Amino acid sequence: MIKKRRENNTLRIIMALAVVGILSGALLVLVYNYSIPKIRVNVENETERAIKNIFPQAEKIQKTKDDFFKVTGAENKVAGYAFIAEGNGYQGIIKLIIGVDPKFTEIKGMEVLESQETPGLGAEIAGSKFRKQFENLPITQKIEYVKNQKPTKPNQIEAITGATISSRAVVNIINDGVNEVRKNVK
Amino acid sequence: MEQLILVFIAASITNNFVLTYFLGICPFIGVSNKTESAVGLGIATTFVMTIAAAVTWLIYHYMLVPFNLVFLQYVTFIIVIASLVQFVEMFIRKTSPPLYKALGIFLPLITTNCAILGLTLFMVLRNYNFLEAIIFGLGAGVGFTLALVIMAGIREELEFAEVPKPLKGAGITLIIAGMLALAFMGFGGIISG
Amino acid sequence: MIKDFVKGLWKENPIFVQVLGMCPTLAVTTKALFGLSMGLATTFVVVSSSVVISVVRKFVPRQVRIPIFTVIIATFVTAADYFLKANFFQISKALGPYVPLIVVNCVILGRAEAFASKNKVGRSFLDALGMGVGFTAALIVLGAIREILGAGTIFEFPIMWKGFTNWIVMVLPAGAFITLGLLVGVFNILDKKMKTRREIAKG
Repeated sequence: MIKKRRENNTLRIIMALAVVGILSGALLVLVYNYSIPKIRVNVENETERAIKNIFPQAEKIQKTKDDFFKVTGAENKVAGYAFIAEGNGYQGIIKLIIGVDPKFTEIKGMEVLESQETPGLGAEIAGSKFRKQFENLPITQKIEYVKNQKPTKPNQIEAITGATISSRAVVNIINDGVNEVRKNVK
Repeated sequence: MEQLILVFIAASITNNFVLTYFLGICPFIGVSNKTESAVGLGIATTFVMTIAAAVTWLIYHYMLVPFNLVFLQYVTFIIVIASLVQFVEMFIRKTSPPLYKALGIFLPLITTNCAILGLTLFMVLRNYNFLEAIIFGLGAGVGFTLALVIMAGIREELEFAEVPKPLKGAGITLIIAGMLALAFMGFGGIISG
Repeated sequence: MIKDFVKGLWKENPIFVQVLGMCPTLAVTTKALFGLSMGLATTFVVVSSSVVISVVRKFVPRQVRIPIFTVIIATFVTAADYFLKANFFQISKALGPYVPLIVVNCVILGRAEAFASKNKVGRSFLDALGMGVGFTAALIVLGAIREILGAGTIFEFPIMWKGFTNWIVMVLPAGAFITLGLLVGVFNILDKKMKTRREIAKG
């Protein structure tokens, strides 16, 4: 008698777990199918907004390959290229979009797409004061950063006080990204 | 090798789970009365964290990603962690009764410790490889233990101090944690090189 | 019935009294808006999981109730996470990995175990809603204080005088701990005052 009850109990436990698992999976498939297209559109809009910030004259943005965009301005004139690059920051991955001129000699600007840096310190890499330093920065040689002083050479930027690691991470991501893209374009 | 050391130091000290990500605060406030129990809980958590990092890494990269089931990530991870804690408990009880006696009472507490789930989520977000994931788990555990033991030490001394009445208990613990967080920020320079 | 709702707001406030669910509380409250969003997401999860758990409570075998509750909670958290990503992209980016961590927010499992698994649907709903609202309110208070002092704004509107220097420490982890610690203290003082007043009124 007791044995039979225990078997029943085990069966009930397995049933309960299975039912919960199936229902949970089914609900999540619905949610997933509903949100994925929307999320994709969100990411695209975000990228487009960032590119338009870097190239205000942009009229057409063409995705020529993964994470690489050709930006055209008025009268079909090529305004430049934009590409996405990522790397490790202080607290996680930093994802940037970087715009360069058509000849690959200087940066037109950069925007932060994703980062988990410390609010108030590292997160300032997305602030306009830090980002402005990259506008028209030559990339004919490697970008360098300096601490607590004004840049003296044209290829230098000033790191954010208290967030050297995040600043350095951005510089490294851009340097590596530029190298990578150059190799692929040639 | 350098990368592994960096992951370890970041997880245990400069980005300490408790003091910068606020993960595992519940036991931090609850259990950090006595140094001895703090050490016990710390070791048990480190143990589970290291194994959890390895197991969830394998599941994520060899089951969820290939079969396109990433949306089941949270559900899977929490089940894995809960069953892992159960297994570890049974395993220790069978193999080493003295160890079980020392750690046993802490194990059930670990399932609801958000540091473990947090660890597995961060591991995925940061794209760690298998070895890095294990070191990350170990480092996070060591960091958790460190914060817990320091806190317990301070709280033992606190019994002799006159704490304003409304702040007794959780209030003063949180304020001390704030000061510890400031102190730990000073380590930030270690990995800036 | 009303009591079930009201107790979460003050007497059993999940943050100030029970000191539960700390990781999202401290991590995301650098801004009032993030506190509000996290509060609403948590409210959604605690209410829907409490209702479901209360409905199925008679069919759940005792031995596996905790795993089953956890799976139910994790399901709703995933749903909330995808919903935020689809409709409130910027907010979901700011909250980052702290949305999934709602799964292990002890407030939710606590409600499931202590209340929803023992009570009827209506009462469980009110109980969860009260806890959610109390949690959200506390998060907004904490977020507002940290945003005003740390960035000089509230819900992104600048309100401090010109020349105000932001207290960076307020947006750092240390500021979160210290602000919450002091708030818990203030809460205790207010609570005691209210109690004595009530006793005097009673005579």
